[in-house]
Amino acid sequence: MGRMKFLCDVERCIDCKGCVVACKEGNHIPVGINRRRVITIGQGKPGEKSLSISCMHCSDAPCIAVCPVDCIYQREDGIVLHDKEACIGCGYCFMACPFGAPQFPSGQVFGARGAMDKCTFCAGGPEENFSAKEIKLYGQNRIAEGKVPLCAGMCATKALLAGDASEVSDVYRERVFKRGSGASAWGQDKKAYKD
Amino acid sequence: MWLKFNNAFTGEWLQYGQLFTNLQESLFGRLFLLIMTIIPCVLLLHYMVIGPKRFAHDGPQVYFFDLFSRIIHWIAAVTFSFMVLTGLMVIFSKPLGGGALIMGGRSVHIASGLLFTVAAIPMFIIWLKDMLPVGYDIKWMFIMGGYLSKEKMPVPAGKFNAGQKMWFWLATLGGFVLAYSGYVLWSFQGPTDTLRLMVIIHNFLAAALSAMFLVHLYMSLFAIAGSLGSMISGYKPQEEVAILHSRFKS
Repeated sequence: MGRMKFLCDVERCIDCKGCVVACKEGNHIPVGINRRRVITIGQGKPGEKSLSISCMHCSDAPCIAVCPVDCIYQREDGIVLHDKEACIGCGYCFMACPFGAPQFPSGQVFGARGAMDKCTFCAGGPEENFSAKEIKLYGQNRIAEGKVPLCAGMCATKALLAGDASEVSDVYRERVFKRGSGASAWGQDKKAYKD
Repeated sequence: MWLKFNNAFTGEWLQYGQLFTNLQESLFGRLFLLIMTIIPCVLLLHYMVIGPKRFAHDGPQVYFFDLFSRIIHWIAAVTFSFMVLTGLMVIFSKPLGGGALIMGGRSVHIASGLLFTVAAIPMFIIWLKDMLPVGYDIKWMFIMGGYLSKEKMPVPAGKFNAGQKMWFWLATLGGFVLAYSGYVLWSFQGPTDTLRLMVIIHNFLAAALSAMFLVHLYMSLFAIAGSLGSMISGYKPQEEVAILHSRFKS
């Protein structure tokens, strides 16, 4: 079985936010919750770059480590999903996440947070595939239908790639080879993290 | 470039994100489990080895707590107990099954936290003067308030002993820090690093306070027989005051 991955090509992303709209529309996400966001750095300056970000479905995901109910789990293909009915809305996963992926609806009793909502890689949730409950709680299950997630399918410049890790990296490697961006294309000229 | 993106997501994850993840993964649950098991065991041991202090309740009585302080105490006591219980529900939400039950617990936690903060302000003011540390508190600490012996020796303490003073300061000042960090966690606004720092502070302080809470419960319910009555009627037996609060002047 493959390993599902997102990859956003910052040389191609044009900050159109089509991925955000596609995700929100297709999965009926309430106002105030964004499973996917587009972040732009150096706006209006030379070298402006945009990146579409959602849950990155990490291996050894910190959200799974901190969840006090253990309602977040990782499928064999690497997709990180969670059980909304067990979630207690404590917000720990948001604090552990390096990408700010977990989102919380407000407006419960005393303004408390409701159950967490995050990108499912369009793979639904723990409920039965295509059941009404799954669609209501988690949105579409395009993976079970054999399709790519809505955001990646929507992306006009094909900056956002989603699918099996080896396929995604093949596509990206070919692009980088054609572009000739050098080693910096992978971000390897600078370290993202301290040693 | 990637660092810039990273900072735009949730701040510098390595600063508190990693710390919080490690603490929550391996420490907080165990810490609360230890506190909730070891302290009752120690207290039970104390009860069996040294036993409760008994004072004559039929002798003359001293008026110790006026009505206002009793009411304030009980509002704070009930809300605080709810907070300890519902807070533990969040910590041990996995064996409890999570979901709507714990969500309800969180609502109770928020409501009682609000009420507690309201009650803690007058409590802080009315007892502040008697709670200021004085010289003989150190002596009290050295003999552990006389709780390690069965003898009835007068211990140096005014209206409140050094143990009660520690509990008071931790519960009021610590309580305000808990209330503020709780408010930040409830509002869930601001930089993610602030939320991470607040949840770390909230957990550690709550652990210290729940430990003190257990000791306070034990003292009032078991260690000094009938001492619960003084917080209901306001009167303490004169013998008890002479021994446990020997410097008390009404």
